[in-house]
Amino acid sequence: MEINWSTILGIIFTPIIAFIVGVTYGGLTRVITARVQNRYGPPIFQNLLDIIKLYSKESNINHGVMQHLGPVFAITASVTTLFFVPVIKDSTVFTNFSFHGDLIFLLYIMVFGSLGMALGAGQTGNPNSAIGVSRGLSQLVGYEVPFVMALVAIMIQFQTTNLNDLLAVQDHFTKWIIFQSPFAFLAAILAFLGMMGYAPFDVVIAPAEIASGPPSEFGGKYLGLMLTSRSIFTFAKLVLFTDIFLGGASDFITLLIKTFILYMIPVLTGIVFPRYRTEQSIRFFWSWPLFFGIIAILVVVF
Amino acid sequence: MYNDKEASKIVDIIKNFARKHSLWIVAYGTGCGAIELPPTMTSRYDAERFGIRGSATPRQADVLLITGYLSVKTLKRVIRTYEQMQEPKYVIGFGSCTINGGMYWDSYNTIKALDRYLPVDVYINGCMPRPEAVISGFIKLQELIAQGKADGAKRYQENLEWYRENQRKVIKNWRMPEYNW
Amino acid sequence: MDKDFINENKTIEEIKNTFHSAEAKLQRKNRIIVKLRSDLIPPFLSYAKNYLSFDHLAHFSCVDWIEDNQFELVYILYSYEKNIIAIVKTRIDREKAEFVTVKHLWRQAETFEREFHEMYGINFTGNNRLTEFILEDWDDIPPMRRDFDTMQYSKENFYTRPGREDAQDVREVITKKSGEKIPDFAKEFSVRKLK
Repeated sequence: MEINWSTILGIIFTPIIAFIVGVTYGGLTRVITARVQNRYGPPIFQNLLDIIKLYSKESNINHGVMQHLGPVFAITASVTTLFFVPVIKDSTVFTNFSFHGDLIFLLYIMVFGSLGMALGAGQTGNPNSAIGVSRGLSQLVGYEVPFVMALVAIMIQFQTTNLNDLLAVQDHFTKWIIFQSPFAFLAAILAFLGMMGYAPFDVVIAPAEIASGPPSEFGGKYLGLMLTSRSIFTFAKLVLFTDIFLGGASDFITLLIKTFILYMIPVLTGIVFPRYRTEQSIRFFWSWPLFFGIIAILVVVF
Repeated sequence: MYNDKEASKIVDIIKNFARKHSLWIVAYGTGCGAIELPPTMTSRYDAERFGIRGSATPRQADVLLITGYLSVKTLKRVIRTYEQMQEPKYVIGFGSCTINGGMYWDSYNTIKALDRYLPVDVYINGCMPRPEAVISGFIKLQELIAQGKADGAKRYQENLEWYRENQRKVIKNWRMPEYNW
Repeated sequence: MDKDFINENKTIEEIKNTFHSAEAKLQRKNRIIVKLRSDLIPPFLSYAKNYLSFDHLAHFSCVDWIEDNQFELVYILYSYEKNIIAIVKTRIDREKAEFVTVKHLWRQAETFEREFHEMYGINFTGNNRLTEFILEDWDDIPPMRRDFDTMQYSKENFYTRPGREDAQDVREVITKKSGEKIPDFAKEFSVRKLK
């Protein structure tokens, strides 16, 4: 059997790079929030320190097997999502496992992390966790619909579900899908706000109301795993959106610039806005984003 | 060759560095001291510069701030909160009420010396301490952590009998669950 | 404005006509004081609420008159219609501290009564919620009674950190500085005397 060394290299390095970039973006978010609030803010590597501290906790209480598995499911989903997204266009190392039909597969695997978290949080028996999980899953139903609409519109338009084919279509910046199918982009980016979980869609982890929701009973390394997973997942989602709408990136500098611009959309929205209740956020997702999604499909079909 | 002792020393330094710069507080908010925390955390004094951040639940937290007098009824809850926290954990006594009773020195329902009931790492003096004093207390705690001297949780486990005896003396009807922290 | 306090005087007049034993007098603008026998309190409060439009029980407090061996209960009522505060005072026996509830007139009285039951040991008949309220596991005499020595209790139950013995009395320091004398009524509250 032939060993594909470049794939192995990619498998090893992609999550590490994703973690570093995701953590740095998390730290940047805190700095930017602080500057907006007229504060100096923490150092940019603050999130990394937090994660190291959480891993170095000496006691880690758990309430059962599922609480072990919940964060593991979450990180599995994040890393798997990352593996099926081509990080760098036309690169042999960072293409990883993108194969035919991967958009539909990604739609499934992106939900898996939330479900794993829900199972883990359910084991803890904390009422705040249960409330947070129910809010989170309701909101998931909310933003998945416009997101799927947007992806379906793109699939119909280009007659493919393969991300590499989509990347091949966008060989010049005038042909980026953001320009070819703007309504799909609008629907997807509004769903993206909900996916990232910043305000106004942060009712899931509302710290003052339900004590940080699902992870309220998680401490130490479990919380550390969750934060790691969150960092990787953030990067994976950003790369996915860059690949679909912004024509991917052929080197790391371009990738960082594009993902950073995309990332600033939910972050800056989050700083400005207060919080939606669950039913308000679902109502929001099922009004304008859904409308844009339907328009996108109609434009493609007719 | 690879030296086991030296390697663990280096790991300890990294761990202590991370612990020192990432203090999550579960602000229990007893007494009047809780009002000093909003200015400490917000833009005037900005404690987030030092990695100090609020956390929602005791499971996620590192530092327990006792912000003021502790009535017997509250002490019960504070002990439960403290025992739910994950090690290493630190306690900061805040204001003169936690040190010697302060202005509640003759009250029938407040304890007068916090370190008889919980292992205190740092006391911050004042009634109430201003945010500068709070931040200087946190920096003192950071120094202790860097030197590996902030071992309140270890002391609590080693002298558990003594602490329990004191707690039971005050809390007459002891109906507390046992935690395997 | 009416300098003759027409509204207030009219209310006082009405009270005096209905309850002959009531001592009602004007304290100042918008404020009247009514002193009553304790057995007249339930009918009087009911009358005040239904006929004099004192709809609101603004406050309810208790005073320990240990010298007279009595508790004084103070109901503070407010009338939105007349804009008058009525302070209704009554005294009950301290040894056998028992009174009737007024929770059927104002529901918030139930909570006040719970508090008095815990802090003063007054038993309100008709109130079936006189359970443990603020203090937990209290086994001494009720702490707000004046014969309860809070200093003594604190010394017996809580560890006192040494180092406060040389604490100075503020009153003494100030009088010494300005060369004045401590007035007689203040002397008994001095720290030195307690020691």
